[in-house]
Amino acid sequence: MSISNSVRAVSVSGNPREYEDVHVHAVYDEIASHFSSTRYKPWPIIAEFLSSLPTGWVGLDSGAGNGKYLPLPYDRPGQLWTIGLDRSRNLLRIAQGAGGELREVVWGDVLDVPWRHGAFDYAISIATIHHLSTSARRRDAVKSLLHSISPDHGRALIYVWAVEQDSKSKRVIPSAQPEDQSSTEPQGVDVFVPWVLSDRTAAPEEKRPAGQHEAARSEDELKPKAKVYDRFYHMFAKGELEQLATDAAQAMGLYVGPRDTDSMAMEGMSGVEVCQSGWERSNYYVELRRWRT
Amino acid sequence: MVRLITHNLLACHVKGCNTNNFPLQFQDVQIELREADFNADFLRGFLPKIEWNALVDAARQLGDTSLPQEQPTMIDDDFLKALHHVLLEIHVEEGAMVCPNCKHVYPIASGIPNMLLAEHEIG
Repeated sequence: MSISNSVRAVSVSGNPREYEDVHVHAVYDEIASHFSSTRYKPWPIIAEFLSSLPTGWVGLDSGAGNGKYLPLPYDRPGQLWTIGLDRSRNLLRIAQGAGGELREVVWGDVLDVPWRHGAFDYAISIATIHHLSTSARRRDAVKSLLHSISPDHGRALIYVWAVEQDSKSKRVIPSAQPEDQSSTEPQGVDVFVPWVLSDRTAAPEEKRPAGQHEAARSEDELKPKAKVYDRFYHMFAKGELEQLATDAAQAMGLYVGPRDTDSMAMEGMSGVEVCQSGWERSNYYVELRRWRT
Repeated sequence: MVRLITHNLLACHVKGCNTNNFPLQFQDVQIELREADFNADFLRGFLPKIEWNALVDAARQLGDTSLPQEQPTMIDDDFLKALHHVLLEIHVEEGAMVCPNCKHVYPIASGIPNMLLAEHEIG
């Protein structure tokens, strides 16, 4: 493996929005079709979450990518409607036909709330907020999810890449180098994760976005020359996602914890409960539920 | 696609545009009608969450007058079939949606609404 194909640590600089335009959005628009062909299997916990939702619920897939979660649940087709939002228009064009049916998709930013607040019954954010380049922006993305779901019963599931990778994963992750040594909060690591697009899979046009470079030639000169696209990821440390969700909820003035139906002191309160959290095959996840008394 | 199920959820999100920012008004639209699988259970579950007036007005803007102005109390199959058609079978392919308050224009191309804003418009 040449060095350009390995995960490597980076330090984010400049305007984070412009940084993500170059190192996330432009990349996904270029690799959309190849990327999509490798992303078809739903993660078990996400499939279970969607299966558990009541018939008639409408949800948001924030960072829907190729729309692989839009047709779920497979066992009850058409009983939920998940609307996909993404920054990559090329991925959305694929998502429009996910699962062989017409899907609803919206070109938008996961930091925005282009919806009636609280209009959705549920929201999922899968492998998305780890592409945001600052902690404040990742927290804002969680806030946008919480604003999108019902304050009475809204449920949300968030998935991000973990620093702790599956033993079967071939990826070698640089160790976390916390910038702020005095911080007691868990901190992950900022990296570039290369996407290798060989000439066979490359889009016909030779347009070259910023952030792209050619891979070093392999020993095998006959092998088609590949293009390598560096995608920015913030890989999460253990506990960091729960902390981020807690920070987002508190920034919205929400109580963090389960709804306590016995307590009179809870009258007129609005909160968020962390229903489950954990690690599944190289990812951290957290499930949140909003409540109001 | 922008079907009316999605239109009923979308709102203007320009910085400071917090009132009268829903529903967005269709402008210069091209529509396609495409059959979709009918699912009565889904519709019954979704019905209480619909912004009814917005749905009826949007359907009329697109030339469909099958829904009653007031949401009926008796839910029968004919009503559910009309609701199904309005929510899920009318596709806005091209055109735009305009905020009734700040007049921001959200273009629709190839069935995909563009809800992105310029940096100075973000709240």
